[in-house]
Amino acid sequence: MRVEYINPFVEAAYNVLTEVLATEVKRGNLFLKSATKPVMGVAAIVGLAGEVEGRVLFDMSKQTAIKIASVMNMEELTEIDDLVKATISELANMITAQAVTKLHELGFKFDLTPPALITGDNMEISDQEVEALIVPMESPHGNIEINVAVRERS
Amino acid sequence: MSNATTELAKGPKEIDRLKKIDFKMISFTLAGKDYGIDILKVKEIRKAGNFTKVPNTPIFVRGVDNLRGDIIPVIDLRVMFNLPAETKDSTSLENIVILRLDSLVLGVVVDSIEKVVGIASEAIQPPHPIFGDINIQYINGVVENEGRLYIILDVDRIFGEPADAPEPTAQAEPKGLALPEADEAQTLAAPVPGESIVPLDLQFVGETLAAFGQFHLSPLNRGWVSERLLEWKKMRQQKGLDFQVTQKDEAEDFLTTFPSPNTARIWTAEAVSSLADLLSFDVPSLVVWNPGCGRGYESYSLALMFQTRFQDKAFKIWASDNDLLSISTAPSLVLDDEELELSWKEHTVQTKNGLQFNAEIKSRILFEFHDVNHLNPMPEVHLAVLRDVISFLKPSDQEKLVTELSEKVRSGGFLLLGTHERLNQPEWKFLGNDTWSVYQKL
Repeated sequence: MRVEYINPFVEAAYNVLTEVLATEVKRGNLFLKSATKPVMGVAAIVGLAGEVEGRVLFDMSKQTAIKIASVMNMEELTEIDDLVKATISELANMITAQAVTKLHELGFKFDLTPPALITGDNMEISDQEVEALIVPMESPHGNIEINVAVRERS
Repeated sequence: MSNATTELAKGPKEIDRLKKIDFKMISFTLAGKDYGIDILKVKEIRKAGNFTKVPNTPIFVRGVDNLRGDIIPVIDLRVMFNLPAETKDSTSLENIVILRLDSLVLGVVVDSIEKVVGIASEAIQPPHPIFGDINIQYINGVVENEGRLYIILDVDRIFGEPADAPEPTAQAEPKGLALPEADEAQTLAAPVPGESIVPLDLQFVGETLAAFGQFHLSPLNRGWVSERLLEWKKMRQQKGLDFQVTQKDEAEDFLTTFPSPNTARIWTAEAVSSLADLLSFDVPSLVVWNPGCGRGYESYSLALMFQTRFQDKAFKIWASDNDLLSISTAPSLVLDDEELELSWKEHTVQTKNGLQFNAEIKSRILFEFHDVNHLNPMPEVHLAVLRDVISFLKPSDQEKLVTELSEKVRSGGFLLLGTHERLNQPEWKFLGNDTWSVYQKL
């Protein structure tokens, strides 16, 4: 993944999460992954198109999703209902949009697709063609893994 | 009367013997009996489980375990000695003694690990056939301490090479000393030296370099390592030291002469020009692949070469590295004004952070955070530059990458390896010299 893309995603994730959760968020070590990866339970996917192709995946456990949605909606939620799903999709949208805005300022242009939310147990995601950058974020409500797979059109 | 005197004489001696502790062992139990292993053979003890089973191995091999990145075999002593072993489910942790023998590190599973026992070595008594559980040749001796009887295992005998194996080393030594003349006759171009180097020495050095320097001995660098080993032996002998590489700093010392000239700096104009002389391209637009570019000096140097020597070609350099810190600084590499040759100055601009290459040069290179062991979605390339990169991959990954290079580099295209790396494969033709290890794909 192109070096210039890394920071916008990391910064956007950090900014948005700190703001909406109103708490301290910690970034873990970045690493690369190409093999099949298990998904923790709730995954929001935002597609990228334009000069590059790829997708950003936000991965968290169901518990974390419920807690984050509770904080963002300022009410106690207990199960993965429509509100939780809409909230997590929106969170994914906010982070990706902020990253893309930053990238646009640097001169890279790409478009977003609307987020799609996938929930279930024992899921895996595999990218045969792209290697993904994993940005682990730790918050008091649980961990979120942001999995960015973007590549240049060659 | 005579009896009494011997009793008297024995008294103080007995006390002396107890005082003089010169042998320490780790004590553990197997099927309820106490055993000991010389502490000098023990690397560490740990709890582990869920070993990876290896098919087609003897029943006492429990599998392999990942010891902080090193894969070690794990052996169940109880099964090995036909002692009853309680079967635990595969996820529970078991007590492991990690042994370090001459050439291998391995783990043995025991029932429980007790403590370290200090004894006087002369108190060790020869094994007696009565300890029938374990073959007598594997027992060093028996010792009593605080009312318990410990059977001391001879781990070198149990796990070491068959008795005749060390012989070749001893015989090979004089052969190794006679070697320098034979080797001097060899030219640099010879990719693999003959059988002149003691293979075992080479293997040992290779193992330590892999452990401490992340450098992996392979056909690609065997020539250099063999030559360096001879040089190293001479150097160490002059200092009166053993030639074995046993520590991290020694491994680093050994590798100091490996990096190619002009590593981690912008190449000199002379070097760029001598490389350009070896290359030729017949298409108007070129793709260059430069994995392991580090902080980007190599990629920029290549861009300078194409910009100055192949003006009529459009080119794009795909540079990547798996070190996030290095690659992050590459797109805006700050140059050392004093180190940079005058002729390159016209390609640079002064920024608020310091001297950098101009937009023209920068736009030619695409820096990526990428691991070359992962999938490389590259189009066909005309030039692949991997100086001193492949040698630092694991042997299996080296093979994979070399195969991939054969597929990725188009026919008639070029491959640039590290100065001390040689590829011995029929589809690659060596066009280089002592400085540039250039190959053309046939």
